[in-house]
Amino acid sequence: MSRIVMRFTGVGGQGVLLAGEIFAAAKIKTGGYGIKTATYTSQVRGGPTVVDIQLDDEEIFYPYAIDGQIDFMLSVADKSYQLFKDGVAKGGTIVIDPNLVYPTDEDRENWNIVEIPIITIAKEEVGNVITQSVVALAIANVFTNAIDEQVLIDTMLSKVPKKVHEANLKAFELGKKYALEAMNK
Amino acid sequence: MSNLREIISTGNDLAAIASVDAGCKFFGGYPITPSSEVMHTISDLLPKAGGAAIQMEDEIAGICAAIGASMSGVRSLTATSGPGISLKAENLGLAQMAEVPLVVVNVMRGGPSTGLPTRVSQGDIAQAKNPSHGDYKSITVCAGNLAECYTETVRAFNLADRFMQPVIVLLDETLGHMHGKAMIPTVEEVQANIKLRKTFDGPAEEYKPYGVAQDEPAVLNPMFKGYRYHFTGLHHDDMGFPTEEIETCRKLIDRLFRKVDEHVDEIESNEEYMLDDADILLIGYGSASLAIKEAIHRLRDEGIKVGLFRPITIWPSPEKRLFELGQKFDKVLSVELNQGQYLEEIQRAMGRKDIQKLTKTNGRPFSPQDIIDKVKEVF
Repeated sequence: MSRIVMRFTGVGGQGVLLAGEIFAAAKIKTGGYGIKTATYTSQVRGGPTVVDIQLDDEEIFYPYAIDGQIDFMLSVADKSYQLFKDGVAKGGTIVIDPNLVYPTDEDRENWNIVEIPIITIAKEEVGNVITQSVVALAIANVFTNAIDEQVLIDTMLSKVPKKVHEANLKAFELGKKYALEAMNK
Repeated sequence: MSNLREIISTGNDLAAIASVDAGCKFFGGYPITPSSEVMHTISDLLPKAGGAAIQMEDEIAGICAAIGASMSGVRSLTATSGPGISLKAENLGLAQMAEVPLVVVNVMRGGPSTGLPTRVSQGDIAQAKNPSHGDYKSITVCAGNLAECYTETVRAFNLADRFMQPVIVLLDETLGHMHGKAMIPTVEEVQANIKLRKTFDGPAEEYKPYGVAQDEPAVLNPMFKGYRYHFTGLHHDDMGFPTEEIETCRKLIDRLFRKVDEHVDEIESNEEYMLDDADILLIGYGSASLAIKEAIHRLRDEGIKVGLFRPITIWPSPEKRLFELGQKFDKVLSVELNQGQYLEEIQRAMGRKDIQKLTKTNGRPFSPQDIIDKVKEVF
């Protein structure tokens, strides 16, 4: 496998960090290397947050994603989207929540922009907004095909409290369903 | 290290885990970005390991509590970032003067002052050498990857007990927060290599804690165990009582230097990466070395032979090895996330002024491309 580089962006407090940790841990479990870094501002909540995830079979030295080499980005906040979109390789996929992120026509020419209402899915269909990071996890895995699905689910369950296992499994299934629908559109 | 185990963690968590594995029983501190997770994690771990962690009212009280715990005989830790070191400086001086072993983790962020709280920097290199006023020798180690956040913290505890003084462990925001795989020694191996501070077990009336050889540290028995001595930041005699006697004062500071200077071989640690056949020498440490290693691979793909010398023990500096490398390599580039704090030491050790430098102080990490571009520009 060549290196997979992903970037999740949002605002502080949305919980975008967790998905990155799950991806890294799942890759390491399968014998590879995974690194997650997060960059955030000194605002407690509301500042732009970016999480970089790199997965590889070979050792990874430099922990940050390199602009222009990012295959996949997911964004749930417009200000972070605007700040970090240029790191995505031309033709790469950017999944956005269309209720929160507003790409320009030019953006749609540069990248494969996919609209999935991530927050609404978590809030209304799963019934718990916090599960948005697991919805995002499932979506990212559909588009990048980075990790064996069962390994990813097992890793995810090991990182969330037992009482919310069911909700997170539902979030994962819904994320996968919406991603596959969007992909085949 | 023979038996390694895999752990998926962050640098800050690894420093906390390492402390507990190394037998630390007390943490006193105050949370500060980007070091807070050291405190969060050790607050969870220490009570389960028979120890205690206290969030004090500020950074100053944090180190004071840690010094007190150490005086009672237990391994003790405080963790902070640069602004916290500034506050702890006075008591770092006390621990140097009174010879109290202590580990201080500094997860560096942008400075000066409150600076850039969530951003990476290596701006505390000069501060680590002399955080407090007066003459003393700093022992400072600097982790360069996740595994070293663990192994260097363990080593710091052993060095603190060996040399009876604070040992600073430098991490930075990148290392503290990056999350990935680390191969680290087993707990059994760490515990088998613990070397606790010396104690005196002869008759109490013969105990002279500071009456030691001129190249050795004080022997401080735990307080309240029947071995009485005086504890002060003033110049003191072999029982710890304040004195201004000329020869005693001279010998005290001379010994604080010689106990370190004459045993640098026990302290020095560094990594030489792809140096054997290199034409260009890069010098860097901490998280900057991650970008450097990536750059070395890419430059070598283009046929440019570059290697890295990475000090792991920052203070005392590896001055002998730096001198040798300065004789061997014509082309030398120093890479650090400050304005050139270690460059001055490299120039001094090498006896050369023609060292190229790449620096950055905007809170952002080096990218491998920054280093590649600089190498191509200057050589």
